[in-house]
Amino acid sequence: MTVSGPPKVERLVNLTIALLESRRPLTFADIKRKTGFYGQSDAESARRMFERDKDELRQLGVPIEIRDSLYGDEPGYVVSRARYELSDIDLTIEEVSALALAMRLAAAEGTRLAFAKLAARAPDPVGDHDVRLSVAVDVAPLEAIADAVIGRQTVSFDYRNADGVADLRRVDPYAVVQRGSNWYLVGHDHVRDDVRTFRFDRMLSQPRAVTSAEAFTRPDDVDVRAAIQGPEHPGEAILVASSPTARWALEARGAVAQPWPRNTHQAPEGWTACELQGFEPRRDVSWLVSLGPDVRVLAPPSVAEMVAEAASNILCRHTGECTGPSTESASNKDQS
Amino acid sequence: MSRATEDVARMLTLIPWLLERQGASLSEIATAFGVSELTIRRDLEHLDYCGLPGLGGGDLFEVDLIGDRVLVNMADELRRPLKPTASEALRLVVALDAVTEVLGADIPALRSAMGKVRDALGIPERLVDVLPSGQTPIVAQVRDAVTSQRQIELEYVGRGDRDPRRRRVDPWSLRLDDGVWYLYAYDHGAQGPRTFRCDRMVAIEIQDEIATTAPEETFEPPRYQRSTGDDYVVVEVDRNARWFIDAVEPETVEERSDGTAQVALWTDSLPWVARLVMMGCGSIEAAAPQQLRSMIVALAQAIADPAAPIKGDVAYTAATESKDA
Repeated sequence: MTVSGPPKVERLVNLTIALLESRRPLTFADIKRKTGFYGQSDAESARRMFERDKDELRQLGVPIEIRDSLYGDEPGYVVSRARYELSDIDLTIEEVSALALAMRLAAAEGTRLAFAKLAARAPDPVGDHDVRLSVAVDVAPLEAIADAVIGRQTVSFDYRNADGVADLRRVDPYAVVQRGSNWYLVGHDHVRDDVRTFRFDRMLSQPRAVTSAEAFTRPDDVDVRAAIQGPEHPGEAILVASSPTARWALEARGAVAQPWPRNTHQAPEGWTACELQGFEPRRDVSWLVSLGPDVRVLAPPSVAEMVAEAASNILCRHTGECTGPSTESASNKDQS
Repeated sequence: MSRATEDVARMLTLIPWLLERQGASLSEIATAFGVSELTIRRDLEHLDYCGLPGLGGGDLFEVDLIGDRVLVNMADELRRPLKPTASEALRLVVALDAVTEVLGADIPALRSAMGKVRDALGIPERLVDVLPSGQTPIVAQVRDAVTSQRQIELEYVGRGDRDPRRRRVDPWSLRLDDGVWYLYAYDHGAQGPRTFRCDRMVAIEIQDEIATTAPEETFEPPRYQRSTGDDYVVVEVDRNARWFIDAVEPETVEERSDGTAQVALWTDSLPWVARLVMMGCGSIEAAAPQQLRSMIVALAQAIADPAAPIKGDVAYTAATESKDA
């Protein structure tokens, strides 16, 4: 640390002002003259100090650009006011009060300064409201991709898919989504020429922007939630017998009670029959299997067979008694 | 980010904020920026030395503290705040979205404000989405109960539970954490504070009775904590069943080059692990303990014959009774 000279915060603020105020790119010599800083006798270390300051300001979001200067091959530095300034948002007093309330309720970390920026030129909030609500969202996984998603830059990264196969992807990032504790990137995969979903924890390298900003147009009709849930299948209707304890699990999926079919086994005490629409065997059989003997598929026979086949695969794996050829399981919980 | 960098970020916002609010008090400023008055005093001292005299065409900033009121002049270079960074903007929108989801109906201005904020930050709707879909109706009911401070009757399925159980609770607060909505409440049955996941609520009924307990501030999302008597489980997963690793909190994961893995974990509920293994339909094998293996074999045998008579509750109980709490 240099003993003489102004504290670092003053240096960084003044460097920002100098770059912001100048109408032409400033060389390092210009900056030294304008700010009165970086005048150490050791030119090398002065230059290094400037480079560090410049990087720290960029980290804060100060858009320092490098241009050719008017003189020789010294690079020139400039900050465009249009890229630096947050334009006025024109919030009404009701709106700014609502936002202030939401901010206070959310009590999310690391948002206070961003809100102060938004509200800097808006009226002061009024009123109060007492709801106990808090929001904790850890957006740390997004740091690497935030600029690309907002600035519409194509990114590339190494990715291991659900089957464990790794390759390099090139993606136009459309949206980021959190479900449970997983973060997903939804975007257009260049090689596969299709909208795909990528889990952040399966990225083997940090996504790196490979184009400049506004490299693609975000389509209006991408249904991000649908992309996360996987392709929609029309599915089929199945008839299921359910024990009293499994009924809630079926009802949570929209099952509707039906009369107990006459041509089947007698209903044990408390058991009911219900119909489940939109059943997609490849996706949903594993869920039925997990309910165990609490449910029994009554129709169609093909689905009942799939449950039985899963049971025999489980038995084969755990007892060594294998009947017939073991097939690939119906478990298909993941995408991409 | 270093301390000095953070200070600079705040000071670049402080100037435009103060230019709009000449005469603001130190305590107002400290509140708006979420720092101490002492920090604001130090910021102001630094800012008094900022500005570019002479050659820059400008002058030093004039920062005056009269009593506890602050006046700023000659700082027009910084009349507008610096744009939030991309990750700042995302974080802000995510938090505001979550509140809007819960309170948007009560506070219409919040929705219109969010539209303007999105435009200003360049974040269209659906660019970032952390709200679990399909939970909104239950969350809205819980929100109403929290607001009106009335008791709730819950039908709730705990993690190790096979079926929902009724609970009477005083709703204290609602929290979105890691993509899951939680209700923090006083459980009258258990006679203590409990945390409930909204996605495990089967039904909720708001009662006429007012909550009788005062909310406690501490909120921790429930995490599995090992206690004596818990089981150590070892499971083999095929490469198409790797979702299992995410569904549990593994103690260790041993990856193999062919994409399979051996997963070890502690659990207080073997039936819960058995359910997950069953879900693998043969692509997951419970290696230990023996009790878990037997449970799975019994469950699989009970569903192996689609033509057998339905045995009702007998089969499930037989399969899991050895250790079902």
